[in-house]
Amino acid sequence: MTQAVFPARGAADRLTGLFWRRPNLLLWLMITPPLVWLGLVYLGSLAALLVQSFYSIDEFSGLVVPEFTLKTYAELLRPANFDIILRTLVMSATVTLGCAVIAFPIAYYAARHAKGRWKAVFYLGVMLPLWSSYLVKVYAWKLILAKEGIVTWASDGIGAGFVLNAVLAIPGIGGNSLSTSPLGTWMVFVYVWLPYMILPMQASLERVPTSMLEASADLGAAPSRTFRSVILPLAMPGVIAGSIFTFSLTMGDYIIPQIIGTSARFIGQAVYQLQGTAGNLPLAAAFAVVPIAIMMVYLWLAKRAGAFDAL
Amino acid sequence: MHSDRASWGLRIGAVLGLMFLHLPILLIFLYAFTTEERSYQFPPPGLTTKWFGVAWGRADIWPPLILSLQVAAIATALAMVLGTLVAAAMARVRFFGREQISLLIILPIALPGVITGMSLRSAFAIADIPFSTWTIVLGHATFCIVIVYNNAVARFRRLSGGVLEASADLGANAFQTFRHVLLPNLGSALLAGGMLAFALSFDEVIVTTFTAGQQSTLPIWMLNELVRPRQRPVTNVVAMVVFAATFLPILAAYYLTRGGSETAGGGK
Amino acid sequence: MTPAVEFSNVTRHFGPVKAVDGVSLTIAEGSFFAMLGPSGSGKTTCLRLISGFEKPTAGQVRIFGQDVSDTPPHLRNVNTVFQDYALFPHMNVRDNVAYGLMVKGMAKAPRHTRAEEMLALVKLDGYGDRKPGQLSGGQRQRVALARALVNEPRVLLLDEPLGALDLKLREAMQEELKALQQRLGITFVFVTHDQGEALSMADSLAVFNEGRIVQIGKPSEIYERPATRFVADFVGSSNVLSPEVAQRFGAAPRWSSLRPEAIRLAASGVPGIAGPARYLGAGTRLSVDVGTDRLTVHLPPGTPVPAPGIPVSLDVSAAALHPMEGEA
Repeated sequence: MTQAVFPARGAADRLTGLFWRRPNLLLWLMITPPLVWLGLVYLGSLAALLVQSFYSIDEFSGLVVPEFTLKTYAELLRPANFDIILRTLVMSATVTLGCAVIAFPIAYYAARHAKGRWKAVFYLGVMLPLWSSYLVKVYAWKLILAKEGIVTWASDGIGAGFVLNAVLAIPGIGGNSLSTSPLGTWMVFVYVWLPYMILPMQASLERVPTSMLEASADLGAAPSRTFRSVILPLAMPGVIAGSIFTFSLTMGDYIIPQIIGTSARFIGQAVYQLQGTAGNLPLAAAFAVVPIAIMMVYLWLAKRAGAFDAL
Repeated sequence: MHSDRASWGLRIGAVLGLMFLHLPILLIFLYAFTTEERSYQFPPPGLTTKWFGVAWGRADIWPPLILSLQVAAIATALAMVLGTLVAAAMARVRFFGREQISLLIILPIALPGVITGMSLRSAFAIADIPFSTWTIVLGHATFCIVIVYNNAVARFRRLSGGVLEASADLGANAFQTFRHVLLPNLGSALLAGGMLAFALSFDEVIVTTFTAGQQSTLPIWMLNELVRPRQRPVTNVVAMVVFAATFLPILAAYYLTRGGSETAGGGK
Repeated sequence: MTPAVEFSNVTRHFGPVKAVDGVSLTIAEGSFFAMLGPSGSGKTTCLRLISGFEKPTAGQVRIFGQDVSDTPPHLRNVNTVFQDYALFPHMNVRDNVAYGLMVKGMAKAPRHTRAEEMLALVKLDGYGDRKPGQLSGGQRQRVALARALVNEPRVLLLDEPLGALDLKLREAMQEELKALQQRLGITFVFVTHDQGEALSMADSLAVFNEGRIVQIGKPSEIYERPATRFVADFVGSSNVLSPEVAQRFGAAPRWSSLRPEAIRLAASGVPGIAGPARYLGAGTRLSVDVGTDRLTVHLPPGTPVPAPGIPVSLDVSAAALHPMEGEA
């Protein structure tokens, strides 16, 4: 008669038996290497950042003084530095607004009206720019916004050159050319982060049941009223989720303002310059902590508003 | 009766929006052929293909290209191993600390690149580690792990756990189950994750500038060219190369994972 | 003869929850054994204790006399037909069926032949090249069966395999499984929550509740002489009489069970009030209130059915009442 239990055929069988007797062993073997990496490299670095921000620079020697102090954070309150923070916050907010407004028609159409092949077209159409090379996209806009570039050519072509010049003359957002103006910076930010806003918006718009819209119309609401009272509130979680991305990404970016914009600095540029040529690591670290703190508050507020259901 | 057809305004707005997303990149391609090398004049005064040859011959392009390829290859390999391991562990239901680990894995992508970059920079300063290819790899592998993890864990979820039990029930030990059941079902998701990770690493510049020291990857080279341009069309040629090196793997990854509820790249 | 499976006071804890609580049973070789009970009663856990996917916290599991506490699932000569079939989606049907032979090292030609034989046995010849995704539920179930049987296991475990099938298909499969088992002589251990299935297929069955076996025996015993109220209720259609009403029928004053078929409407007997009636085609089920109990009486076709509210008399022989051990 054949046996009820087979003998182990070799090391592989015995090892399998060991994993069966101690299931946690396999779990530990699998999770330890990645955990060590992430814990050591990533969390360790974040800790280093925090630590570095509590150090300070000796004014005379230029060397880092590894002693706990709040001096460096106090430096952030100096007008020149505080300006940087404010400027970055304003840009992040306006970029978020711009993205929300422009993304809405695209997301709305893709969620509620695109069917079959068109849905795939829209999906790819949003995903591909999202994943295209970031630097190439920014470079493309440098070409477009250049004084001799396509925007000038187009606006001259339709006789609107004076409009362009008028806009460029507005203080605060204008400049020599689009590619050296805050307006230009804003435009590029909006372009690059747009897909991050479209996707969550589309996701939450897709979840609005058509029956609700029909019920609203049935109860006598005009389309604009339906939009304000039904669609907009239900799409809010998606908008908030998208805004998390656009806000956070704008706050930390140092490349776009460097390539397209004035010499006025943003937080990211301050961090970059301070850790490089300016040689003030503690201040750079302190600057870097600012977006973290702001994002934590933002995330907490967003969570309370129920945005994480849309992700 | 409420009509589901969109108004023309909405439709035009949506399509224009889509085109707005894609047009700029096409312009880059156009500018790679222009004869004007000192400005971004539009329309281009003439068209030529000579810049491709010039780019090929320039000595300062090849080292960054090779460095980018090296870093991407190593970071992807590391990420594939670590990302798959942690995805396999997370696929096992309920263990202590699961939610926290989930958050930890997402963090490198959730926080802006300048934070990751500056953190690594601070760590290198405190631990007195000099810049090298390995410091670049360290940064890249960390966020590449997230990409591989996302793809692997989505596929793990789709795999009914019963299938692994069935394999053991029929007499297969752990290695046989891995080879005959797990790998064939995971394979395309892992490949997709690897390709996305490669593309992301190749294109990465924000964290890299903090961790590269004196070295240049191709994106760093491009960044320098953007600030202080030499032969602008050559920069465009390089931009096309970078674009292709990121776009093609992503497209391939999309096709590899299409047809499931998870799709490569969904949710960066 | 060594029993195929033996549980000696087996317990399986999940923290404070006792999924299996002191279960002892013996399954004879070559029998069709059913484990019946509601969800969460521990029957599936017991099945998994046999296949090895659960380990007992206390007690011993023996397969053909051998203690398997230290034997992982892949080394037990036991195969399972899973509830969701768990077919390998990336392999065709033939490779699915031949899988067990492949991992044991059999060459391609002989194992394909064996697989084809098994497919013929479950009436799926010619389906070898299809993928599981192309099959219907019933076909997938047969593939799962063939895949398990091809290894000639000494015990075959079936975890609610017919749950996903529609009624007609389920009944046809029940007959096929029974016939298969008798032909092959393999010990079948079958888990189900459907009492009709268990009663019609099993040689012996165990009724589970809250991790314990409440009653174990032949189907006729379980149905006609349920040991407790739970068994009577779960296995169904038996009347449960309170001690006071049992006494009226001339039996001892204990909780008792009484089959509806054993009660007749007569000219004189225990008085009751007729209630609603349900026409079943093969007869009529009439509710009759006797004291505090509502009894179900089976009336054969042709018997006149009294209208609700009419007083009736019930005739039952005292021997037909079966006193039960307890309330649970």
